[in-house]
Amino acid sequence: MGRRRRREDRAAGALPEAIAALSRSLPAGPSPEIFRRAKFDRPEAAPALWQLLFRVLSPLATDKTGATLVPEFQVRLVKSVLRSQGYPRSVLAQRSEGNSQSSRELLLALSWLLARGPLLEQLLAQSRVQLGDQVSLFEVLARPGPPASCMEIEGPVDLHQVQWLMGKLRIRWRQLLSSQQEHCSLLSKIHLYTCGSHSHQRFSHLSVAETEMLRDPDNTQQLLQALECENVRLEAALEWRRCELVFWQWMDTVLGACTPGAPAVPSQPLTLPVIPERGLGELELVAWELQALQEELQEAAEPRRAAWEAQVSSLGRGPEWITARKTLQETVEQELTALQRSWEQSGGPPQLQRPHRLVRSKDGTPGPQDLQAAEMIRMLRTQEASLDGSLRQLQDQCQQELARLAGTLPGLIWILAPGH
Amino acid sequence: MLPAECARRLMAEIQGALDACSERQRQLERSLRVSRRLLRAWDVDPESWEPAGTPIPEPPPGSETKEEDPAPACAQSLQDLKELELLTQALEKAVRVRKGMSSARQRDRTPSLTSASTVATAGTTASAPSQASRQAGNRASARPTKGTHQAMDPAKNLPAHKLLSVRSKTPVGAGAGTTKHEPGLRDQQTTAPSAPPRTTEAFTLKEKGTLLQLPVAFRKAVSKNSRLWAQLSSMQTSDSTDATRAAKAQFLQKLQMVSGSSRPSAAEIEAEARSLRKACALLRLRMQEELSVAPADWMEEYRCLLTLEGLQAIVEQCLHRLQELQAAVMGGLPEPCAAGKATQASLPCGGKADLSWSPQLLLYSSTQELQTLATLKLRVAMLEQQIHLEKVLMAELLPLIRTWEPQGAPWLALCRAAYSLLCQGGERFLTILRDDPAD
Repeated sequence: MGRRRRREDRAAGALPEAIAALSRSLPAGPSPEIFRRAKFDRPEAAPALWQLLFRVLSPLATDKTGATLVPEFQVRLVKSVLRSQGYPRSVLAQRSEGNSQSSRELLLALSWLLARGPLLEQLLAQSRVQLGDQVSLFEVLARPGPPASCMEIEGPVDLHQVQWLMGKLRIRWRQLLSSQQEHCSLLSKIHLYTCGSHSHQRFSHLSVAETEMLRDPDNTQQLLQALECENVRLEAALEWRRCELVFWQWMDTVLGACTPGAPAVPSQPLTLPVIPERGLGELELVAWELQALQEELQEAAEPRRAAWEAQVSSLGRGPEWITARKTLQETVEQELTALQRSWEQSGGPPQLQRPHRLVRSKDGTPGPQDLQAAEMIRMLRTQEASLDGSLRQLQDQCQQELARLAGTLPGLIWILAPGH
Repeated sequence: MLPAECARRLMAEIQGALDACSERQRQLERSLRVSRRLLRAWDVDPESWEPAGTPIPEPPPGSETKEEDPAPACAQSLQDLKELELLTQALEKAVRVRKGMSSARQRDRTPSLTSASTVATAGTTASAPSQASRQAGNRASARPTKGTHQAMDPAKNLPAHKLLSVRSKTPVGAGAGTTKHEPGLRDQQTTAPSAPPRTTEAFTLKEKGTLLQLPVAFRKAVSKNSRLWAQLSSMQTSDSTDATRAAKAQFLQKLQMVSGSSRPSAAEIEAEARSLRKACALLRLRMQEELSVAPADWMEEYRCLLTLEGLQAIVEQCLHRLQELQAAVMGGLPEPCAAGKATQASLPCGGKADLSWSPQLLLYSSTQELQTLATLKLRVAMLEQQIHLEKVLMAELLPLIRTWEPQGAPWLALCRAAYSLLCQGGERFLTILRDDPAD
């Protein structure tokens, strides 16, 4: 009897501990008590859970901004991100009241996010303290905020304005290139001057962050604190991983406690205005491209098929003829399936997508996971060449099209600019 | 001149590209500022800073902090002496008269460890009074607290001679507090010359960079950090017990069943759109390869034909998939809002993220190489931007030109502008001459 009671106690104690570990590893994690109240859908648990989901789902949220944002905005953002990630439960989306409801739903949403993938590790990796000069190989010039699709245009827009903006863009590109050059030369100098100061086994100079820390002792404090916070979260995450089973068993009960609502009803669209954002536009662009390609293929394939059919009759029908055809068919099929697979894979080996620490080293003895600048340069050059090729090809396409359209007009002479 | 919708879309796209470039420029400039500052002469406080980064002003092990035990002056290795000389010289050069240094900064800085204090383990807490004196000499605010904290490092048994002689150059007059704790200082004071102001040679990375050293507490924290990351990542790869995995899967399934709808999420749609775009590019490339080679014999002809038709079939499939996606987007639209996009990038659904804790290095060997690498990266990003804009322009302008019937001057102007934008990247213009038959 006593043994069973003790086992139950242990089990009972394991859950709050697990939840506490989970909270410690999350940014803005609430106390285990909040979780318990959320199971019973208590309203007082809701604000903390909204806050938590906001911090988890929004990359913009940091300590400073999270608190100052209007709760209403937090709520809307959480709902919309959940929807765009494919969260199946529509109850949360349907309830238009804001902050103080649906704590159980929030708990379910959090668990869904946790169950789907290594959420904790991803969050930690995102906010990781970077000590080195991090360089990632695939740089994307992405616009920082929400797209300006609601841009107000005053008055009629002339194509001149578009030309002007494009010119501005070109100037910005040039500026970027020159700033980048300067930055590299400065980095290189710093690495050179601090050679011998780092005790790492594979490199011996400091990074900008480390040097800055030595220059300004206040910085040292900050970095140390950040590192220590991260260490605490990492330890909590390890603990969570060891004892999370008990949490999932508990979540089953939470799910069971949900009122079996009307699940099969398709969700009503939110009252938010449905602005066809980039998602729709992208699909249209791709459709347009694919259709153009389809036409070109048709133009190329049809005459060839006709010519072939005409020719085939004169070639005889021996047995080796049939086998030859078969082998050809098979080879082509294999090639095409390989081609299909090549875009279905995620882009690029994952190793290249992670940021790397930039290190200056004369004698290149790279470790197993290190990259060499010379190789990367080669890779980037081929990429540049292929992109250049596609751009040129597009431009040629346009030129042909325009020539075709304008060629319908007689009596005009088109003088191309010199150097074309 | 342009229809409003079209204009709005065009401007929005270009403005987006401009914003992206400004953001990148801002980031670069921030880094540039920091780097430039590091390469200039450092603005240091010689009291509380030294090139060989001593431990952080956290309370070091108690035995060292507030005690003023005179450590015995032991013998030391020649090596230590040499090091000390180097440090001394560095300190000499690093002294500056600081005016207007905010007292706040000093107050906050907990008793930091000047090499004097580390060095003065020959028992002399004389650094206290000399510190006080120097402070009195150099700053308005006195810092009595500083004098009392002697974070000495008894492990470093270095003689204080050289250093104290250095220090005592400053007007020791106010030096006061000559307590019983300064046995060593007396003889130094006799040798102290009159106090000329120190040379104000500042610390530059170029000259002294190699002397820098990371603080011990920092190094400890970093190694702990690496260790924890390694544990976490190995735990993930070896994976939690089957029971946990099963429990999670069961939970997801139950949730899905109870909730019903299973539309593709906006994030997934976007991923598919991206993959289809890649598909299109690859298919087109393949087609061009086929068309560029003239078939030598009937086998090649046949192969070429088969390939082209195979490509056609694939394109059909892609278009079909695209239509499905478009239908999904239209009905019950999960709008991919900006935040969603951003999180999509950062939280890849299904956990495909490859977490690695190990610091992977990118090795470069010269400034030239680094610059080439960075330039190429940027050029690739810019080319992608340019290609995207080209496609957008094509999609907007070409239909306009096709549908505009009036063949008058405005249409010609449109053609000319479109030509320059689309075919020359907006860099060159062409001229159109009307060739009127001579009257």
